[in-house]
Amino acid sequence: MSTTFLPCGVYHENYKQDHAWWQTKFIKSKMFLLFITLFFIIPWMSDSYSLSICNQIGYTILGALGVQLLIGFCGQVTLGHAAFLAVGAYVSTLLVLEFPWPAVFIELGLAYPISIFIAAITAGLWSVLFGLPSARVKGFYLILTTMAAQFITVDFIITQYVSQIGGRGQAFSLPLGTIKVGPWAWGVIDSDIKIYYMMIVLTIICVVGVVNLLRSRVGRAWVAIRDNDISAEVMGIDIIKYKLLAFFVAGFIGGIAGAVWISNLAAISPEHFPWFWSLWLVGVILIGGVGSIHGTIFGSIFMVVVMELLQMAVMPLADTYPKLLMDFLFIKEAAFGLAICAFLIFEPNGLAYRWWQAKNYFNLWPFSY
Amino acid sequence: MNQKKVLSGFYVLLLSVMLVAGGVSSASAAAGTINVGALNDMTGATSDVGKDYALGIAEAIHYVNDTGGINGKMIKLHQFDYGYRVPEALTKYKLFQRLGCVAVLGWGTGDTEALSPTVTKDKMPYISASYSGHLTDPKKTPYNLFFATDYSTNARASITAWFDKKWPKHKDFGKRKPRFACSYMFASPYASAPIKAIKDQATILGFDIGADQDVSLFAIDTKSQMLAMKEFKADLIWHGNTTMSVSATIRDAYSLGVGADHIVNLWGLDENLPKLAAKAAEGTMGAAVCAFFGEKVPGMDKVVEYAKKYNPGIPADKRLIRTVQAWGDVLILREAMIRADKAGKLDGESILKLGFETMNNFDIGLGAPPVTFTATDHRVAGIVPVYEVKDGKFVLVEKVDLKGRWPEKWATDWIGW
Repeated sequence: MSTTFLPCGVYHENYKQDHAWWQTKFIKSKMFLLFITLFFIIPWMSDSYSLSICNQIGYTILGALGVQLLIGFCGQVTLGHAAFLAVGAYVSTLLVLEFPWPAVFIELGLAYPISIFIAAITAGLWSVLFGLPSARVKGFYLILTTMAAQFITVDFIITQYVSQIGGRGQAFSLPLGTIKVGPWAWGVIDSDIKIYYMMIVLTIICVVGVVNLLRSRVGRAWVAIRDNDISAEVMGIDIIKYKLLAFFVAGFIGGIAGAVWISNLAAISPEHFPWFWSLWLVGVILIGGVGSIHGTIFGSIFMVVVMELLQMAVMPLADTYPKLLMDFLFIKEAAFGLAICAFLIFEPNGLAYRWWQAKNYFNLWPFSY
Repeated sequence: MNQKKVLSGFYVLLLSVMLVAGGVSSASAAAGTINVGALNDMTGATSDVGKDYALGIAEAIHYVNDTGGINGKMIKLHQFDYGYRVPEALTKYKLFQRLGCVAVLGWGTGDTEALSPTVTKDKMPYISASYSGHLTDPKKTPYNLFFATDYSTNARASITAWFDKKWPKHKDFGKRKPRFACSYMFASPYASAPIKAIKDQATILGFDIGADQDVSLFAIDTKSQMLAMKEFKADLIWHGNTTMSVSATIRDAYSLGVGADHIVNLWGLDENLPKLAAKAAEGTMGAAVCAFFGEKVPGMDKVVEYAKKYNPGIPADKRLIRTVQAWGDVLILREAMIRADKAGKLDGESILKLGFETMNNFDIGLGAPPVTFTATDHRVAGIVPVYEVKDGKFVLVEKVDLKGRWPEKWATDWIGW
């Protein structure tokens, strides 16, 4: 059944119909427009700066997606997700720089794609390790164990040991041309536009993958655990298995985020994955909307773009009021906290809820009563 | 109107102002001006030293414009705080390109090293406050420049000065090797940049080298690390962090009776160190790349004058050597741009080749050594002045001539790390 618009009322007879992607031609048209926008209009209209903003949004989406899955869909609060991004970034960097790839892999540009996959698996397994306490603890106690992931992984293991590999010191250099995807000459990732395309493709794959998981038996089990873990267990759901699976998938996506992000960096150091970034990712889903994939995307766009605008808003004023340079800049940090407080108080469902309201308004227009 | 509507209205208004202001600031400066970007840390991990540097950059650019600019063309400075977050630094660099900046005054080692291949590809002179030795080899990083001697050179000079001046007075001199260890944040590219060179110099001078201690840039308690130093019976400790962290470490070493002397990397050595560490800072040594704020040296009168003029709310005794360092970087950029402009081209490549790399013993004043850049070596000088804290003041101990003392190593071995 594919019509231009859905008729009034719900006529779905089974889950398959209810959870179908793109149920009407109108939605398909919207998706087609989105595709054109993402793959043609944005790259065509954007300069290097705008593309780097888009890449930062993509990185934030990939990072926040795992946090959303854990907090928003499985109810497992995490404050150490930057650690899994770091694992992904370091594993892929080490594989690219240090692993003795056969020449054919280098020529075919397979080293980096394979390293992304291995990095994601490693980050997923590492995440499971820190998810193990979720079998016993929850709430504040789980927050503490996930925070431990950050300090053990980044501040201890990566800083003290992993960074020493190769004898370079604390940072690994990734000179331009190091990263190559595919056998073609243009497969060398050396410009913002190439990073953008790689980022957008992987972001779409991850978003579609997570949305599909959420439509499945696994997703329903996660939601049941989130809503009431005791009831879920009573219903026969193996809650430990599904919690750990959530940690694995979250870590897996985090690993992809880290591995992709290295293409945007010429050097990588533990400094790139501070604990603040874990907090930031939680802020992204709080503002975007907890328990919503749309929310993850909106939150990421909001946080990156608003921070950029705030920075730019301050600087011209500083020409006239130099003191602002010192004093007003703190508002940038304060705005982050304020935005989270404001959303928690006035719009706890986040930007996704506003999007849903706006969509409903237009769906029902002009007979919205 | 209910509270929610008022707040929503305010929110929309705020967003609109930001959009307009953001749009205005994205617009390029007027013709006849030269755009220069500045990336500073005023709110992040290194803001204890970054704020003063940022003020110094703005004041120095005012001075350049007031004294004729670049052959009559005024500089438009685009100055951004990136909070020491590398992803933001990458984005800001792209913004500088959009704004048509011909050069960038950068900040930390993390972002400078991350951007290094990009600035090389873009031929964008990047004058940073990171004086990492990794950035001094033009074969690898031709567009990374700074007016100061690099961290590795400074550390080599400080260790040598201690070895020459203090170790012979030690009761165990001639009986055993001096014991040496490093205290710094392992995760910080800034703090860890000269470690390899430090260990090399300590080996050359015959030190017994102990385990490094990891001390955060935010540290306020470092007792466990200093106890490890005490156990090792260190004679000399090199500190690689910024002032706040270093003063906390030196205080803890003093209270625990570690008994070692201290040498400090550049960004931990300023006027705040004796204030924060008081008696514990006495005898601390380190290389200063220029005079301290307010010292009687050529050019300092202007630094003080512009600090008073543009930031009258900050008393002179609160200003630091960081301001002077910022002036140093701005003044070499001005000279390079003037030379390139006179040669007829004010683009990145000309600023490097016809500007920086034509400077031979160019004196910027400010108590800094004369600056020389060549096409094969971007280390500005081989003689490093080393200071010591005495009665709360910095006094010159020795000018260590590394180039003269180890000419072969200086010429070939020590470049670029």
